[in-house]
Amino acid sequence: MKQSTRRNGLEELDVKNGASQRRKIRHHTRQSRFTIAIFVATTFAVSLRTSVLAQSDAEFMNANQAYAQSHFVQAIDGYEGLVRSGEWSANLFYNLGNAYFRTGDFGRAILNYERALALERRHPEATANLQIARDETRALEMDQSWSERYLRSTSNNQYTIVAAIAFWVAVLCLIRIFLRRQSNVTVMLAIFLLLVFAISTFAIYEFEYGSKGMALAIVTGKDVQARLATADTANSVLALPPGSEIKILSTRGDWLYAALPSNLRGWIPVKDAERVRL
Amino acid sequence: MFDPKMGRAFLIVTLGGVFAVSSVFADSPTVTAVLRNSEAMVGETVELQIKVNGRGSAKPPENILVEGLEIHATGTSTQFEMRNFTTTSSVIYSYTILPLRGGRFTIPPQTIRVGGNSLQTPELTLNVVDSSGLSSAARPSRSAQSGNAGKLVFAELIVPKKTAFVGETVPVQIRLVFDPRTHPQLVEPPEISGQGFTAQKLQESGETPETIDGRTYDVATFKTAIAGARAGKFEIGPVKAKAQVVVPRRPTSPRARSPFDSFNLDDPFSDPFFSDPFSQFGERREVEIKSEPVPIEIKPLPQNAPSSFSGAIGNFTMTTDARPKSVQAGDPITVTTTISGRGNFDRVNAPVVEDEQGWHKYPPSSTFKQDDDVGISGTKTFEMVLSPNEKKQSLPVIAFSYFDPVKGEYLTLRSEPIAITVQGGTAATQTTIASAPRVTTPATAPAAPKQEQKPADILYQLTERPAVAESFAPLYTRPVFWIAQLIPLLGLLGFAGWKTRQARADNREARRTAALQHEAAELMRKLHRGNLSPREYYAEASRVLRVKTALASSNRGIDPNTVDVETVAGTFGLNGDSRERLRRLFEQSDELQYSGTHDGLGKISSQTRREVLELITNLK
Repeated sequence: MKQSTRRNGLEELDVKNGASQRRKIRHHTRQSRFTIAIFVATTFAVSLRTSVLAQSDAEFMNANQAYAQSHFVQAIDGYEGLVRSGEWSANLFYNLGNAYFRTGDFGRAILNYERALALERRHPEATANLQIARDETRALEMDQSWSERYLRSTSNNQYTIVAAIAFWVAVLCLIRIFLRRQSNVTVMLAIFLLLVFAISTFAIYEFEYGSKGMALAIVTGKDVQARLATADTANSVLALPPGSEIKILSTRGDWLYAALPSNLRGWIPVKDAERVRL
Repeated sequence: MFDPKMGRAFLIVTLGGVFAVSSVFADSPTVTAVLRNSEAMVGETVELQIKVNGRGSAKPPENILVEGLEIHATGTSTQFEMRNFTTTSSVIYSYTILPLRGGRFTIPPQTIRVGGNSLQTPELTLNVVDSSGLSSAARPSRSAQSGNAGKLVFAELIVPKKTAFVGETVPVQIRLVFDPRTHPQLVEPPEISGQGFTAQKLQESGETPETIDGRTYDVATFKTAIAGARAGKFEIGPVKAKAQVVVPRRPTSPRARSPFDSFNLDDPFSDPFFSDPFSQFGERREVEIKSEPVPIEIKPLPQNAPSSFSGAIGNFTMTTDARPKSVQAGDPITVTTTISGRGNFDRVNAPVVEDEQGWHKYPPSSTFKQDDDVGISGTKTFEMVLSPNEKKQSLPVIAFSYFDPVKGEYLTLRSEPIAITVQGGTAATQTTIASAPRVTTPATAPAAPKQEQKPADILYQLTERPAVAESFAPLYTRPVFWIAQLIPLLGLLGFAGWKTRQARADNREARRTAALQHEAAELMRKLHRGNLSPREYYAEASRVLRVKTALASSNRGIDPNTVDVETVAGTFGLNGDSRERLRRLFEQSDELQYSGTHDGLGKISSQTRREVLELITNLK
């Protein structure tokens, strides 16, 4: 009797220990599965990305080869395919601009050089070719304010980083002043940093909403006339050679209202201009 | 040590040296001549300016003799300019030309002696149109003005040419004529309507009184320039403007004829202004002012445009200079080309290098200085950097092509070969000087056909691609930027939390200290009173010692209840007799507290009390 009771007790203990062990094993299994799933997903994503990169690299090389063999239309198709897939880079737009230049489409050549420069402000090849293309078409450029001209020495993203750093360091200085540990150096530093923050913010605003901001577009059509009203028969305001810069102010149907070089404004068919920023 | 006086003297000497050097190396004297208007009417004066650049006294011609033109000197002005520490001075001699008859006149080159040099102005051409050759709308004749003379407000559109070429800049004048009694206020500035041409922004050039048919008017003049966009016959205008003017109130009854006007004479008192006794309170009304349109024929440009033609139309001269003239192969040489004259300067692009072999050319920069209100006349300066790849003896020929609307042909100005010295590098395979034609500046030989020059070529393809695709979105619109801002934000919040917690802890410690100080003071008062039993007295005395010890070691946070003799002695650095007295006090306190003898002898002697108080007060 005692023995059977003891056996039962041991069995119960075994059962209890087994359950706890099973719980532990199940928990470990779940953790392992989760880790494996993350690993597999990461590996899959990396391999997918690598495969996409390899594919786009191959397309880029093919387009370059077509260009080298003077098959410019084929090269344009290749580059445009990469642009559609979102694999943007300054060199891609620069090469696409060169291909359009070779086909005599100077408007689109200038558009793509501008896109290359929008992605990489200091792209010497794009700058040089843009000047050549502009000379070819006598394209008109938007007038820049003095502040835009001076602030363009640094890129928008650099101004953003400077503004963020200046802001946080200025906040630290203000906290120090608030904790009554101020010194003249801290106060001067705080004022200086707040000034840097304000100038950087102003520069970012100018970059975005200035004459060469996000609304900048390039005339890609030929014999484009900016008009006083949304009709082909309306009076002409300005003849815009291909590659001329405009700033889109609004869009109405098939027409867009734009600020033009020489401080003029007029209506242009939508199909004759493309925004620089995609 | 640095002496400020010496520093100042050094600065003055340096600046003086710079000016002296710049004066020595200043440009050799040059002379240019320009007509303010290449088109004029008989009886309309045109200004001729002869500009002499460089130092030295110049002797300009007092009178220039051209049959059919009366040319008289009217004045002299001097200009000083400083650029890159180089000062240049120029003297402008102004002449007034009065055409006596219609036709095309050539003003021959004029010889001007500057210092020891003898310089010649370029030949200039002036087209004079007989007044009969212009439409009444283009230039209001006397009769047309007489027709307007009776009006209180009217507009005139003056276009000096009836024909122009596509892209040619034609100056246009708009005159808004007001009777001064109307007290005009311009509501909408004049606007030129019409198709087939582009117009520049209107520039107001002032308001002047003018007598038209014996009556005085205020004339507001606006200037602009138009350019034909395509060939064809077009109408410029009409010009429309809106103004608020005071007009006389309508008479309620027919006015009696003035006795002065019995014979239908132009009696000034017949004017409606004088018929209304309240004319000065006349009615202010908005009126539209409209001119007659002016027809113009835009002709296409000839087909044989040279390759260096960039659309410039007008009459130009070109000068070229280069700095430095002695360089190493690969070093930059800044070539400054100045194009002066009259024409569509917005289409004047940088001159081209005719033979780029052995040269690396960089994109040029340009500045424009206009001499008139609408930018038709002026000087455009181009700075182009050329870098020799090999040994060279001279700069390549720089060419600038334009279309002369008077001659009706394309002309190309070529620079004289400028001698330079290039050190290092390989010998030139074909020297520029040998390949370039030697033409004096400014040569106006007809331009070569387009096929002769190769167009500027673009740079090569690039094969590198970044591993990550780039984005047009500004950094501040990307989530990663705002996530990055969370790092300093969380740090800031953590710091704020830590400071709050520390402040609370400090507050708790301060309260504990205050309570202990209060308790010690209270106990000391009790000990001084002397009405305590021995048990209470020793208990309070030992408590004071514990509290004082806890206060003295507040940084360690000691609980007064745990303080013993050693702690007190250690905290206050007691030894010898003081330590012994302290031990006795604590033992006495414990004995009275726990032995059951309660108050012992019943009273504490004043001697003992003084000793205890002395012991307590000496603890510092």
